[in-house]
Amino acid sequence: MGYSYAPLLFVVGFALVIPVAFVLLSTRLGPRRPNPVKTEPYESGIVPIPAPERKFQVRFYLVAVSFLLFDVEIVFLFPWAVRFRSLGWFGFGAMLIFLAVLVLGLIYEWRKGALEWR
Amino acid sequence: MTSPLFPRIDAAAMASLLPFLVFVVGGLLVLLVDALAGKRRLPWAWIAAPVPVVALLAAAVRLGAVSGLTPRPTAFGGQFVEDAFGLYVTVVIALATLSAVVLSDVFLRRMDRYRGDYFALLLFSAGGMCLFSSSTELLSLFLGLELLSIPVYILSGFFRRSLESVEAAMKYFLLGAFSSALFLLGGALVYAGTGSTDLAVALRGGFQPGASGLVLAGGLLLLTGFLFKTAAVPFHMWTPDVYEGAPTAVTAFMAAAVKAAAFGALARALVVAGPSGVPTAAAGFLWWVAVLTMTVGNLAALGQQNIKRMLAYSSIAHAGYMMVGLAVFAATGARELLAAVLFYLLGYALMNLGAFAVVILWGGEKEEHLEISDLAGMGWKSPTAAVALALFMISLAGIPPTGGFFGKYLLFRGAVTQGFVPLVVIAVLNSAVSVYYYFRVLVALYMRPATRPMEYAPSVAAGAVIALCALGVLVLGILPDGLVPGMPSSLIGLVREAVAAVR
Amino acid sequence: MNIMHYLADLLVRSLFKADPATWPYTWIAYAVVIGVGALLAFAFVAIFAGPVTWIERRIAGRIQSRIGPNRNGPQGCLQWLADGIKCWLKEDLVPATADKPLYLAAPYLVFTGMFGAFVVLPFGAHVIAADLNVGLLYILAVTSLVVVGLLMAGWGSNSKWALFGGVRSAAQLVSYEVPSAFSLMAVVLMAGTLSTQGIVGAQGGWPWQWFVFRNPFLFAAFIMYFISAIAEGNRTPFDLPEAESEIIAGYNIEYSGMRFLFFLFAEWANMWIMAAVATLAFLGGWQIPGISPERIAEAKGWTFVGWQALSFAIFVFKGTCLVFTIIQIRWTLPRLRVDQLMITCWKYLVPLSMGSATGVLLLMALVREGGIVDWVMRGAMLLVGLLVAGAYIRKVRATFMADRDNYKKMEGRDLWYPPYRLP
Repeated sequence: MGYSYAPLLFVVGFALVIPVAFVLLSTRLGPRRPNPVKTEPYESGIVPIPAPERKFQVRFYLVAVSFLLFDVEIVFLFPWAVRFRSLGWFGFGAMLIFLAVLVLGLIYEWRKGALEWR
Repeated sequence: MTSPLFPRIDAAAMASLLPFLVFVVGGLLVLLVDALAGKRRLPWAWIAAPVPVVALLAAAVRLGAVSGLTPRPTAFGGQFVEDAFGLYVTVVIALATLSAVVLSDVFLRRMDRYRGDYFALLLFSAGGMCLFSSSTELLSLFLGLELLSIPVYILSGFFRRSLESVEAAMKYFLLGAFSSALFLLGGALVYAGTGSTDLAVALRGGFQPGASGLVLAGGLLLLTGFLFKTAAVPFHMWTPDVYEGAPTAVTAFMAAAVKAAAFGALARALVVAGPSGVPTAAAGFLWWVAVLTMTVGNLAALGQQNIKRMLAYSSIAHAGYMMVGLAVFAATGARELLAAVLFYLLGYALMNLGAFAVVILWGGEKEEHLEISDLAGMGWKSPTAAVALALFMISLAGIPPTGGFFGKYLLFRGAVTQGFVPLVVIAVLNSAVSVYYYFRVLVALYMRPATRPMEYAPSVAAGAVIALCALGVLVLGILPDGLVPGMPSSLIGLVREAVAAVR
Repeated sequence: MNIMHYLADLLVRSLFKADPATWPYTWIAYAVVIGVGALLAFAFVAIFAGPVTWIERRIAGRIQSRIGPNRNGPQGCLQWLADGIKCWLKEDLVPATADKPLYLAAPYLVFTGMFGAFVVLPFGAHVIAADLNVGLLYILAVTSLVVVGLLMAGWGSNSKWALFGGVRSAAQLVSYEVPSAFSLMAVVLMAGTLSTQGIVGAQGGWPWQWFVFRNPFLFAAFIMYFISAIAEGNRTPFDLPEAESEIIAGYNIEYSGMRFLFFLFAEWANMWIMAAVATLAFLGGWQIPGISPERIAEAKGWTFVGWQALSFAIFVFKGTCLVFTIIQIRWTLPRLRVDQLMITCWKYLVPLSMGSATGVLLLMALVREGGIVDWVMRGAMLLVGLLVAGAYIRKVRATFMADRDNYKKMEGRDLWYPPYRLP
């Protein structure tokens, strides 16, 4: 049991060490001559005016909230799906009710236009 | 008892959850109808109104069914307890919800925001209150707290285009989220210290002499969460702004239902924790909270010009009176005081709902008549509603023959019997101060000439709410020991029985 | 038994002549073997992602009637190495206005998210780094690190195109996570486990034992999973985050050199992960037709190794087929618009995938497994699958032939572009 999670440690280790090593190597091999124009944010070579604002549309939040809701439901559903066979008709009915509420949420979102990308 | 992780949910458990289920399923149905209706305007209030009525009937039926039942019906593996106490609070909540739904009908139509999801949120919040006031376990308590709070945050900001409404929602949400977080942290600390999330086990065992400071800190944080919802000093800062900014119908709902649920839950927590679960320090703390809450609420209400704001501060003051009962109970364990608090809750809910109903009725097209000076001359212009408002103000001030008087009488008498004379003296002085600002309303109503014409559309629905609240306040004041129709015993007997049922 | 443990035991026995059960340093042997295994998984990513970029560019050239890279090595097959070395020699630029910690950390997060998923991919009967009992959930969880990385890249670059690319990318990834998870839930319902090996084990070697042909709902779930996987990999027709015509290059626009390469690397690795998950969840994984997993486990010596190699080959073959399908889709279909993208997900895929999961649920409750209805369903679905595959192959072949005939007509003419043959 303990060993089954050990590879994770190694993989995360490799996943951190290897890219860092590669990037370090590339900084050694490549030139390093930054100048003010080069380090400007990319905007077709023209000086960016106005300074980049970190604004984006509010509907991205809407997507994020929908995702949060559904993903939490999914995390809730997965353990049930694993044990589905042993839960019997009670588990079946309970989860159907749960799914029905979930569908209700989706219908509500849909009808209220939260899924439109206007 | 079955394991709380895999509780059996059978028919008996479902029956004990009945009012809660009615609210939640009703809310879902309203939501569904709203989603399917699209842009059509349906009579939302009349779609939603049956839900609190059914919940009220369910609670009344269960109240008859559970009296004297041992063991008490539970659900979710003992996390949710059905007893006369919880059902009594549920009745108050259902009454307040019903009034809020009816008032919202008048209010939202006028403000042109007549939307179905508003009513669904009201019902969800009421469901959360049922859960909150009947939970004996930290996690379900927290669940109830969130379910009751989140819809109210949304409702207070329901007028998106009104700055005050948005400000109210933002303030309430941020502070509320913070207090919920504290509550959760408190629960976590208590659990860490005692290894149980069951209130009885955790608090009773946790405060034995030599218990870890973890539990004490956790208990205080839990108390913070409760005090925030009851709007007790020093956690009252949000109240005036939120009560003023929120849609008036929502304010009425908050003042009546949220307060009832919060006091119900706090009282239950104190009872369940038992005498050993409430350390002397906490009882002393509650004493100070009661004194400060009364005094701050009353003194701040003196200078208010806006009637919603005045009622907000008055609600803080009334939280202080009820806190007197809880403080004495925490110190002595005298259940008589809890019965008084329960009695007070009903009376307070009725007079507040009535007062807000009149405010809504006279508020005008754009809610422009909210100053106390706007009431000038209304006593002659709209005599019936004015008489009712006067009655509510008299009741709020605690003058006989009203429910407000009897509530205070029961509370103060109980406290004196237990020997808390200084506390009662402070409370009586506070009541005397409060007479000033309540009577300012009466003075405006009857002794000032009308400064400008005030037009308002009469409304049968609001009128019915006002009439019923006035009747309730009078009955509670004149016949507190008398018969409550359909109930086997008097109201005072009922609350005593309810309090005795809590274990 | 895990092949890692087997090899470690073998190592201890042969090299140190000790009993692995009692030898005190067994854990070191395990650690070494597991480390080597993880390194091999990394090597697989590198070796897979590299050449696939070259193959993709050649296929793209073929589809678009041009040549594609053909200079470095025979038919240009070393192009990917040249690209990698080039990136190494590039200047590592950091924009002056960038939010440095976020900017610098983003590629690592993206890479870790991708690479982490390889741990639980069952490459063969016992070729798996770690058979976690929450495998599928682990893949879903660890790949969402990528979203965080992309957002960090977009935000940290402090450039509007990068920001737009980043949030678009995040919105797309999280949206399509929902239908893909629901589709996988249908599989979990059937298999009754989240372990990747368990899911493969619940299927069989023959196509009628694969989940995809079990019933119509699982077939639909497979297709929906495949679509969501393409979208989650930011591949055309869902490559909005890096739509050149709209936001130049998306979240990676401010990156150069090796850091830039890691984003691309992760993208191609992701393609393989998605194909592998589709394979293990729907297409029978590594299962060898006619050979039961028990027989493989009981085999000894070279037979064991042989079965492992065969199962590995089967898994990689199935995965590669899907990868090529993805590549072909990329160069065939036009890009969606943002609103179409979101509507496809929330209004079609989410309800349909919920429906398919519920359908699987109902069928499991109503239809007895191994009964006559079950077999009729499997047969019908297999037939449908074969017809779809046949039609697909026929169409591709016809296009290919028509193309070749066109080129035959050109032979001997004086063209301004060089005629070419497929490698």
